[in-house]
Amino acid sequence: MTKNWLSLHRARRSAISAAVFCVVITGGCKTGDDAKAAATQLAATAKCLSDYYSALATILTETDSLNSVEQVMYGIPYDPATQAQIADISAEIKKRAALSKDLSDLAESLASLTGSSAATDASASAAKLGTALASVKSIKPDMGSAEQTAMKAAAGLIATAIQEHKEREAARGMDQLTKGLLDFFVKEEPDYQSIGNQYAVLSSSLALSLLQNGQTDPAGFFKAALDPYGLVPQITDPKLKAGIEKLAEKQIADKAEALKTSQKQAAGDMEKSLRQMSERVDLVANEKPMELRSAPLSIANVEKWAAEFQSAAGLNTPAASKSKDTTKDQ
Amino acid sequence: MQDALAQLESTYLTLQPQIGMLLAGCQTQADRDKITTQFVQARAAYWSCVNKAFHDDDPAVVTLTNELTAANTELKQAVAQLGDIKKTIDTITQVVTIATSLASKVIP
Repeated sequence: MTKNWLSLHRARRSAISAAVFCVVITGGCKTGDDAKAAATQLAATAKCLSDYYSALATILTETDSLNSVEQVMYGIPYDPATQAQIADISAEIKKRAALSKDLSDLAESLASLTGSSAATDASASAAKLGTALASVKSIKPDMGSAEQTAMKAAAGLIATAIQEHKEREAARGMDQLTKGLLDFFVKEEPDYQSIGNQYAVLSSSLALSLLQNGQTDPAGFFKAALDPYGLVPQITDPKLKAGIEKLAEKQIADKAEALKTSQKQAAGDMEKSLRQMSERVDLVANEKPMELRSAPLSIANVEKWAAEFQSAAGLNTPAASKSKDTTKDQ
Repeated sequence: MQDALAQLESTYLTLQPQIGMLLAGCQTQADRDKITTQFVQARAAYWSCVNKAFHDDDPAVVTLTNELTAANTELKQAVAQLGDIKKTIDTITQVVTIATSLASKVIP
């Protein structure tokens, strides 16, 4: 009897939750599934954006370390003004990572609205996002404060609309927010690519210099042959060392090119994903069918880049570890 | 106005891979100091404009960007040939002077 009552209660609660969700997002249940799917996809895409920014922040942390390495290698002063510029840019990028995470949390809470406190939670997420948006420094005059203000207003609109069950306003707010986020990314993207380029050139040129000046240990190249047999390489033959140097030079050049290419592709894929999400949210906000049920496919490429970059940059380095901890805190 | 940052990047990243060779090619400490100073300025000019913007309608920015574009072509040739170090230093100094002027136009 108790079990039956519980089942009935759960079914009733589930029906209410679905109704609340449909009302909040779409203003009705006609496209309730579409709205839920869009919110889930937006959560994944925004999380991907956060990972993209976190990888960029890691690049900047590595750049800071590399400039110090260059100072030791060549006696080139790492001037305080440049250090401060890099720190400022890194701080801005981390704000964008945090903002994207907040958007992901908001979308996730909208996608899983259950229980009586759900609307309050979603509203709080939207308010948090609005605060994050307020802290981001607008850097492009053609984007300007008007666009950023519109995004902040959209977050505020969502927070209020969810609380007051003004479903259409909430949906319009999400639409406005995703469009703003896309514009934000597109206008800053060339700078992101430039940051990636300088990292590839700076790191590869220092690596090459250390290699050509005999400041690297070539033993690692032979580990694949010797490790299975418990032997430790001890390379003394100059011909072997010279051969390794040529191979390593090529590897450095190839890796630098790969870093540039993958950075460019990741930025392009991120833009594509944000554009697709903006279009999908727009469909839902205008109560049109949104039939797609998977997150944009291109986010997988971005996630792969972000993860590969972290491992390529060397998670064992103190700088990378520091960066990882910092981004984790956000 | 993204060209401005692209040109500042080009100046800095043309010098970066060659900095060791350039310093090694100097016969006096004075020359080494000159190259070091110019390199630091080129890097500072680049970083001061990342994640920043220029006024689209500023004719000075357009002119300086065009000048830097042409100067970067000369810079690439000079550091690739690594001939007379004094002439190379002169070329670097001219290019970095333009880069610094352009960077000074960025919106703070």
